[in-house]
Amino acid sequence: MRVWDMRLLQDDLPTEKRRTEHIYDYVDSEENRRRVDQHFTKLQRKLIIGLIIGFLLPNALLSAYFHYQFTHTLRDSAILSLESVADNQKNSLDLYLRERIGNLYNLLLNPSATVPPTQATMDGYLRSLVRFHDGFIDVGLIDAKGILIGYAGPTPEQLGQDFSDAPWLKQLLNRDTSHIISDSYLDSRRAAHFTVAVRHVIQGQVYVLRATLDPDELYLLLRSTVHGSNVESSLVNAQGRYQVVDPKIATATDQAPFLPPATESVAIHEQDIEETRTLIAYTWLTEAPWSLLVSQPLAVAQSGMYQARLILTISLVSISLLFCVIIFFTIRKLMDDARRMAEKGHQLQEMLAHASKLASIGELAAGVAHEINNPLAIIMATSGVVRDMFNPEFDLDNSPEALFKELDVIDNAATRAKGITKKLQEMGKTRMPQTEPCDINAQVETVLARLKKVELKSKAIDVQFNPAEDLPPILAEAEPLRQVFTNLMLNAADAISDKGIITVTTAVQDSMVAITIADTGRGIPPQNLERIFHPFFTTKGGGQGTGLGLSIAASIVKHLGGVIKVNSIVGRGSTFTVLLPHNFYCPLDT
Amino acid sequence: MDKQKKFKVLLVDDEDIFREATARQLKVRGFTVLTADGGEAALELVQSDPPDVVLLDQEMPGMHGTETFVAIKELNPLIEVIMLTGNTSVDNALELMKLGTFDYLMKPVNIDELLYKIEDAHARKQLNERRQRSNTAPS
Repeated sequence: MRVWDMRLLQDDLPTEKRRTEHIYDYVDSEENRRRVDQHFTKLQRKLIIGLIIGFLLPNALLSAYFHYQFTHTLRDSAILSLESVADNQKNSLDLYLRERIGNLYNLLLNPSATVPPTQATMDGYLRSLVRFHDGFIDVGLIDAKGILIGYAGPTPEQLGQDFSDAPWLKQLLNRDTSHIISDSYLDSRRAAHFTVAVRHVIQGQVYVLRATLDPDELYLLLRSTVHGSNVESSLVNAQGRYQVVDPKIATATDQAPFLPPATESVAIHEQDIEETRTLIAYTWLTEAPWSLLVSQPLAVAQSGMYQARLILTISLVSISLLFCVIIFFTIRKLMDDARRMAEKGHQLQEMLAHASKLASIGELAAGVAHEINNPLAIIMATSGVVRDMFNPEFDLDNSPEALFKELDVIDNAATRAKGITKKLQEMGKTRMPQTEPCDINAQVETVLARLKKVELKSKAIDVQFNPAEDLPPILAEAEPLRQVFTNLMLNAADAISDKGIITVTTAVQDSMVAITIADTGRGIPPQNLERIFHPFFTTKGGGQGTGLGLSIAASIVKHLGGVIKVNSIVGRGSTFTVLLPHNFYCPLDT
Repeated sequence: MDKQKKFKVLLVDDEDIFREATARQLKVRGFTVLTADGGEAALELVQSDPPDVVLLDQEMPGMHGTETFVAIKELNPLIEVIMLTGNTSVDNALELMKLGTFDYLMKPVNIDELLYKIEDAHARKQLNERRQRSNTAPS
């Protein structure tokens, strides 16, 4: 017998013992499947969260960094663009003003100029100026005393007027510069004008030729050189009053919201104008005491950035979502595969358990045949005796008493056979596994005692048991544990041809309980070592072994969280070490 | 049936009732029947009162049938042994025949078949004895 102890079929065993040694179904399918499912669901959740965090976190950090860089770059780019507009416009304005000054100079430098000029000369001047440029309104010549001595234009009543108090004239006469451009001023018709004047000495006398210009021309010039939406250009004087401005925003001489400080080149200023954050690029003109302001609402200036940022954000969110979906589905697929594999493994395990049961049943059947054939032999022999009693040749006592005595023997034998079949039926019933703290030493003792009676008796095998003291108990079912020890010890016994020693030792190794079964048998060839735990691998011929013993043992030990190690030297013997964790709570048995 | 001409049979089986019932059947048929309940007792009888044919149960506690058979043959190679077994596979039977048992019978045993085998076994024993005598006798 391997797994099944025929003593179970004997009447004299205590009831309790028979009950606990029923066929053991250690793979509790439903419960185990539920646990495996839970395990995979938990694993899937962890993997998804881990991967999503692992992907999203660096992604978010990288996005934040790029967003920061991007914002700065685009803001700089917006500023640069505005500064460039301001610089271009400043150059255009300076050129424009220089040209106007040049126009006036050209008139004064004319060698035919006479003082005081005739009206025809003045009219000629105006025609000449207007021919160059539409912006000129009138032209006048002022002598050193500030008296307008010549005039051509729409207001000839000015002729003879004293301009000596006009600030621009004072400045021009007292300064080293040969020309001046006045601030804008409103005339009697509330129209804005500004004056360009040049100083020149004619015939030893200082004369000033001044012309009035329409600032609208300057405004049109500004408008024509503006690029970009919502860009507003204006000119302010040193007091912060508008000189040239979009009439929709303000009129000339109104106070501008920003008084630009003195600056060498184009500078940038940011301020709220009518509750709109506005970016202002400013620069001072070379030819006039005016500052050019180029303003653009910040939102508009950075609209390109906002759009790019929006696209970037949408892309990042979409990519992240896409990755999340891919991660989710990939992990789900992987988990499904793993679950299927586990299911297959589980099925294999069940098949193994079933196979081990079948193998046990095969061995059981052999034992049963013996047990049943014995009472049958008695019945047949006794019925032969009865037949002899009625055979006149033998002249035997065939009284009813003698006959009844033989019939009783037959009845008893039949009852005995019936009892065996009844017990077999009981053995076939499965039950739920029950774990208990198992004293390994006691289990080994039990197995040894059982084996010594039958299997180990026929050979000259010396069995030595060295139990460790204070061995911690293992939480498991006793019968599968005993099956492990039984299988290993039977293998040890089989490995010994005639006589030898089997040494069983128990010990504590770290957090494990080690049960070592060493034999002095023939040993296992290296090529077989890795196959011995495979189901149905056997070297025992003639139907002696099923090849399931070690695989069943390994399976049981694995379920207890342990491992079986083997060392073997051919001709010297083998050592099997079962390592069981003593704090392991067998999941299958709960 | 000539009771006095019958020979000596040793029946070895641990089942008391079977042993007694079979012994009674053999006795009424004129055999001298010796019985033993195990291998050790059988070996003692083989030495003290050698039988012609041994009926030997295969599965016995203590000394196993096969083991007992080998021991009997060592003591007296001329004794023919018929194995009785409750569980005999073809492999097991072939193994026994190879070892040199005369035959094997599966329990439950039919008495006529048993008698037939015993007679055959005895005939072979007598043949072997004659051969041995002729081999050892001076020419």
